[in-house]
Amino acid sequence: MTRKTLERCAPLALLALALALPLAVQSATYMHILIVLLFYAYLTTSWNLVGGFAGVLPLGHSAFLGIGAYTSTILSLQYGISPWLGMIVGGVLAMIVGVLIGLPTFKMRGAYFALATIAFAEGFRVMVENIDKIGPFALNGPRGLQIPPLGFGLGKMLFADKEPYYYIILVMLVVVLMLTAFISRSKLGYYLNAGGEEPEAAMALGINVARAKLIAMAMSSFLTALAGTFYAQLNLYIHPKSVISLDLSFEIAFIALIGGRGSIAGPVLGAMLLRPVSDFSRIYFGDTLPGLHLIIFGVILILVMTFQPRGLQEPLTRLYHWVIDRLSSDRRTA
Amino acid sequence: MKILEKIAVPVVAFSLLIGTALLAQAENVKIGNIEPMSGPSASLGQQGKAAREMAVEEINAAGGIKSLGGMKLELIYADSESKPEKGVAEAERLINTEKVHILSGCWNSAVTYPTTAVAERYGIPFVVPVSVADKITEQGFKTVFRIAAKDSWWTRDQFAFLKDMETEFNSPIKKVAFVYENGDWGTGFATQWKELAKKAGYEVVLDEPYPSTSTDLSPVVQKIKRARPDVLMLVSNAADAILLTNTIAEYNVKLKAIIGSGGGHADPSFLKATGKNATQIFDIVEWETDVNKPGAKEANEKYKAKFGQNFSGEAVDAYLAMYVIKDALERSASLEPAKIIEALRATDLSSGPGMIVGYDKVAFDQTGQNKHAALVIVQVNDVGKGLERITVWPKTARRAGYTPVFPMDVK
Amino acid sequence: MLYILEDAINGILMGSIYGLAALGLTLIFGVLKVINFAHGSLLMVSMYVAYWTITLSGLHPYVALVIVVPIMFVFGYFLQDIVIKPIFKAEKNVREPITVIIVTTGVWYILDNLTLLIFGPQYRTLQDNPLRGKMLEIGEFMLSVPKLWGFGAAVLTTLAVYLFLQKTDTGRAIRATSLDREAASLMGINAYKIYNLAFGIGTATAGVAAVTLVPFNNVFPTVGVLFDIKCFIIVVLGGLGSIGGALLGGIIIGLIESIAPQFMAATWAEAIVYGLFLLVLFVKPAGLFGVKNDW
Repeated sequence: MTRKTLERCAPLALLALALALPLAVQSATYMHILIVLLFYAYLTTSWNLVGGFAGVLPLGHSAFLGIGAYTSTILSLQYGISPWLGMIVGGVLAMIVGVLIGLPTFKMRGAYFALATIAFAEGFRVMVENIDKIGPFALNGPRGLQIPPLGFGLGKMLFADKEPYYYIILVMLVVVLMLTAFISRSKLGYYLNAGGEEPEAAMALGINVARAKLIAMAMSSFLTALAGTFYAQLNLYIHPKSVISLDLSFEIAFIALIGGRGSIAGPVLGAMLLRPVSDFSRIYFGDTLPGLHLIIFGVILILVMTFQPRGLQEPLTRLYHWVIDRLSSDRRTA
Repeated sequence: MKILEKIAVPVVAFSLLIGTALLAQAENVKIGNIEPMSGPSASLGQQGKAAREMAVEEINAAGGIKSLGGMKLELIYADSESKPEKGVAEAERLINTEKVHILSGCWNSAVTYPTTAVAERYGIPFVVPVSVADKITEQGFKTVFRIAAKDSWWTRDQFAFLKDMETEFNSPIKKVAFVYENGDWGTGFATQWKELAKKAGYEVVLDEPYPSTSTDLSPVVQKIKRARPDVLMLVSNAADAILLTNTIAEYNVKLKAIIGSGGGHADPSFLKATGKNATQIFDIVEWETDVNKPGAKEANEKYKAKFGQNFSGEAVDAYLAMYVIKDALERSASLEPAKIIEALRATDLSSGPGMIVGYDKVAFDQTGQNKHAALVIVQVNDVGKGLERITVWPKTARRAGYTPVFPMDVK
Repeated sequence: MLYILEDAINGILMGSIYGLAALGLTLIFGVLKVINFAHGSLLMVSMYVAYWTITLSGLHPYVALVIVVPIMFVFGYFLQDIVIKPIFKAEKNVREPITVIIVTTGVWYILDNLTLLIFGPQYRTLQDNPLRGKMLEIGEFMLSVPKLWGFGAAVLTTLAVYLFLQKTDTGRAIRATSLDREAASLMGINAYKIYNLAFGIGTATAGVAAVTLVPFNNVFPTVGVLFDIKCFIIVVLGGLGSIGGALLGGIIIGLIESIAPQFMAATWAEAIVYGLFLLVLFVKPAGLFGVKNDW
């Protein structure tokens, strides 16, 4: 096979593998771990549109997740509207909020932007905790909302088995990855990149950096909200502290940075590396030495950042190219 | 032939190994426990763990589950970090990978809702020692059994206690103040308090939720002071319970009574951290060290020697939960989930080492709620042996020779 | 009216302690251009050090400063030197390296959970110290004595750090590095050493804050998290990198937290803090007292 065909086939092979995985994984435990892994990969890829390409560090994305989760859950609980529809409504709401937040904050430099997004998300959580009802919509304040596990089916986005959840989040991930790949090659991606690295120079070239960032923010917040609906339907319970949590916002950023910010594969790699570490260390050490799993997590963060500040995507890409090179018939001579 | 032998021997050896491993696994009844082992509620998770360990050690030492051929109980723990989604993931794992026969947990009501839903889906019995939200047993689930009283009972008893105090000490109460953490737990209590206050004819002069992450509660204490209530009712986690108690003492707020709702007020570090500032505070709990039950004192001594602190209500519920499970297993004589659930439903436990609680019986109603669960009210006071928690209500359970101080007269 | 005055004074006192807690964060940002997400954890570690020093030695809390502050300085100095410096070296060309934020977050996780492992989840308060529960009473008017001490410590520490930066050679070197790392290096200043120093001083001020807090607050493994977000808000309100701004930002937060609950639920007061924070960010991103270019 030539190098070109190999390079083209590799992602397809990976997709085929991902599609076939539930056949091999019989245990619902591992299915659940895989679903959560894909969920984080999806979230981080959505985050990456702003956090990676636009060169800022948003640390409040869980607010959008919360908007998505609450919107679809309220609509389905109170009005019987399918979460699929609620998902879109939530996405649009989050998009509007995202743009409103983006307008003033994108003018800020690094640290200010990061802190502004944290404050926005925390402030939003406090609001939700304080509000029992907005007009006819019951938010239930700190008590949260519960989705009764009754009436399974595709229309209700509620399943007794794990496989449907797996395929839903897999499709969502593939779509968002394709979108990212498309954007990174488009003019928008170029603008974002230029604006992230050298905003002054980019503006001098006549690029409307702020507009590019806003478009990225709109997409990112929309996509993040969709994951919120998925979260609610998977866990069947949402409350402000779980969906609008700083921990979640941070974890997304960790995954992106460990995997490689601003690259297409980075978020997925990051999720594949960090999620199992987090899950298995909690499983093995959670009971005997409380907190040890979080210590391990912290140590890994420090080590990766120290030795691979561009994320693990860089050495892995090199490895990938090396493998492809070995396999291809028209091998390049060294 | 030689080659065949070479292959066969390790294969046989390997299968034997696997076989024994499987057999060894099948010898235990596995109980999966989801508790907050790290994070903000770690203190409670670790009490729950200690109590379970003590109960299971005793049960196993006494010969395990006799109807199952002396099978031993095995505890498997999972850390929820107080996060619902972690609880759900752990419930899935405990059921599918660890193949637990029974689940137990989770203290945080927010974690208990979605994890009991997982257990319900798989038909695995779920014994909740303590998570007080009413909703937990009102979801229509068939697999959930709760040992502790639900929050509508806690609030009901708090008000019944107040009425009794009013008549016993002939000291009328007019104004009440509600101050509570702004979580699921606190707001749940407050909703019911408001209704009860209306019924009892008390005037609510303050209804104040506060963020449980507060670093300074003196503004809230000032508010209490200025509202001049007769009685202050609190729902607090540990850090804020300590902060509130100390600040109330500093600002010298004059009240007839302060009534806690367990949780932070019952935390083992509460008395140590507040010292004499906690004198004469009332608290509602499921159990107290001075309860008049055979074995209670010994159990507490044992627990204290092992873990360095007194049994708390939460810990005793966890301890009792293990004995309720043991009792159900003895009767089911089977590890089939449906049989265990059936046995749990038919529970009628009134004796045995686990029954050190203040009430006489454990039996579940249709919803899975322990219908005999009852609460006692204690007063923190020093009767010569340092500060301790003294049972004062119901009157039948009151410690002999102790008269509650009502209204409070500290300082 | 008297009530408002009483609340305002409590707010100023408590707020100044918040400002003191945030001082190290703003200093470290000013010099290293990095938000130190481990700051709350350093405060927590300081509180444990202060708690044990005072409990074991039986000293007056403020005498314990002479032990706590050097310990925390050394702790911060070497934390920066051993853990954080390597990343700065790897990211030499980036002005505000985001990777460092992640590393400080890693430090936060490690410190908080290591404390949980070593000391357990228990809550501790100082018993029987000369400041515990002391109130200044003037008629109906009540003031917390340990908070008054804290106010004094906050003002003096802020002043000391300010003078140190303005008047001493080392202070000038720190300021030079914060303005322009390359230029400072050309002038023979070892930037990494300055970073260590700034981090050490920042941690030492957290040590002072811890000493002011332990006489009336709880000590437990996650106590730092309660102060984390508060400190972030304070430093942005005051202007990232502004020494005096931290104190003033803290006092503003303290005033809101103390006065607002008298007119609404305490939980809404929390929302006001965030609202004000976002408002300031949008209207005056450099902070209320910040200079246009962070020093």
